[in-house]
Amino acid sequence: MATIEFKGKTFEVDEDGFLQRFEDWNPDWVDYVKESEGIKELSEEHNKVIEFLQDYYKKNGIAPMVRILSKVTGFKLKHIYELFPSGPGKGACKMAGLPKPTGCV
Amino acid sequence: MAFVSSGYNPDKPMEDRISDIGPRFYKEFLPPVLEKNYGKWVSHEILEPGLLVHEAESGDKVYTVRVGSARLISTELIREACAVAKQYCDGYLRWTTRNNIEFMTTSLESAKALKADLNSRKFDKGSYKFPVGGTGASVSNIVHTQGWIHCHTPATDASGTVKIIMDELFEEFTNMRMPAIVRVAVACCLNMCGACHCSDLAVVGFHRKPPIIDHEYLDNMCEIPLAIASCPTGALKPGKTELEGGKKVNTILVNNDRCMYCGNCYTMCPSLPLSDKEGDGVIIMVGGKVSNRISMPKFSKVAVAFIPNEPPRWPTLAKVCKKIIEVYAAEANKYERLGDWAERIGWESFFKKTELEFTHHLIDDFRDPAYFTWRQSTNFKF
Ligand code: HEM
Ligand code: HEM
Ligand code: SF4
Ligand code: SF4
Repeated sequence: MATIEFKGKTFEVDEDGFLQRFEDWNPDWVDYVKESEGIKELSEEHNKVIEFLQDYYKKNGIAPMVRILSKVTGFKLKHIYELFPSGPGKGACKMAGLPKPTGCV
Repeated sequence: MAFVSSGYNPDKPMEDRISDIGPRFYKEFLPPVLEKNYGKWVSHEILEPGLLVHEAESGDKVYTVRVGSARLISTELIREACAVAKQYCDGYLRWTTRNNIEFMTTSLESAKALKADLNSRKFDKGSYKFPVGGTGASVSNIVHTQGWIHCHTPATDASGTVKIIMDELFEEFTNMRMPAIVRVAVACCLNMCGACHCSDLAVVGFHRKPPIIDHEYLDNMCEIPLAIASCPTGALKPGKTELEGGKKVNTILVNNDRCMYCGNCYTMCPSLPLSDKEGDGVIIMVGGKVSNRISMPKFSKVAVAFIPNEPPRWPTLAKVCKKIIEVYAAEANKYERLGDWAERIGWESFFKKTELEFTHHLIDDFRDPAYFTWRQSTNFKF
């Protein structure tokens, strides 16, 4: 487990750079991760995806299925990849502070 | 080693990025004789173990030499296979669906020379590098998985168990004296990546203890509803617990009486590990097939409920596999797959002849369909 210092805040992360605790999330985390996820500037659309993922996780205890993410945000999968080049799991969920996707990924 | 860039620019990750190009078209790699006679083959023959000949409408012939491979191989060994292909086959070769390697030539003389050359190549410790065989009614390569080499959910090893079973059955790879093909498969957990559920003989890694719950981290690491839904027997439920310091956390509770150690919940949730040195081992399944030759395809059935892990040579496992194959080879009719044979003589006769112990573990108890696996007939042998 590694600890990251950024703008005076500390984040505990695993070897894939996912936050160890959802509660540790704050906007600086997004600022810190975006570079490694191939994102230069955050747009309204990025924030919409991140906010929805966080809402859904708080309400349901899981990350939404890709189809739900698309349906609610109105962004087709192609557009989600344009926003988050690593995709909804490795990219968007990581930035939103959700736990690392599991299963046969 | 110091960093050497491939030309990729991490500051502009999407610049000059090539994607969605798919695999190379297979015809780019066809030996000329195969390209010329593509779709125009009239007959084939197995000349001897590991050596096939196909004849085309044009009269062209192509000889194929099949060799075993460990599947998990180094670039060095791949290079050696390439060198062989360059020497005898104009640089062409292919891999089979059971991870054997096939070299193709157009003359019988060069095929025979190729076979002799391949059989002469050995590793320092004495194992064959490219043993020729795997055709006809033989035991061909074992379809297997990752094991302790790379996966995080295994209950046994794959490369290790496969090596000892192939050592034990090596004579059957290089001969064609079985009643029919015997397909062997190994999977290191019940996920059964590969072909265990549909092979004549299958070895599957198995746990015997329920998961350990890492309460402190569980809610942080896992999507709790996913883990709950992953359990086939409803052994899991969400709960709360108090950690040593008095902190209350959300977690998962396991009903050990309902758990049958499948490990699905660990796949979904890193805080539910269950692998265990003494608890883990393998089960043996028999009688599956995928072809529809004479009888319909069949699932394999559990014949041995547990054999402990005994690395590095798994002697008990090797012995039991050999025994099953030997009895089948001695008893079955020509063309009968292992499952065809067991069904014809009856499973009670199968257990008697193979001297395998029939334990209560083998009786299906999973949901309604278990009923159909019991015997609703007075037809049985004493
Ligand atoms: C209200 C009256 C009756 C009830 C509730 C009843 C109920 C049942 C039940 C639950 C079974 C078992 C079915 C199974 O194996 O799943 C059965 C079987 C049987 N019953 Fe009745 N029964 C009644 C009347 C009768 C009568 C009047 C006769 C004969 C004259 C009869 C002859 C049989 C026979 C021969 C079987 C065995 C059938 C087989 O296994 O193929 N039953 N009955
Ligand atoms: C000579 C006369 C009879 C012969 C040869 C005969 C023969 C048979 C046979 C071969 C079966 C099938 C057994 C099986 O494979 O499961 C059977 C079942 C049955 N028979 Fe008869 N039967 C005769 C008379 C009767 C009579 C008179 C009755 C009723 C009053 C009857 C009631 C039944 C019933 C209820 C079954 C189903 C039993 C079960 O599945 O448990 N049979 N019989
Ligand atoms: S069978 Fe199980 S342990 Fe083996 S590679 Fe597949 S998922 Fe991993
Ligand atoms: S190991 Fe399998 S049966 Fe046991 S609790 Fe986990 S999912 Fe359920």
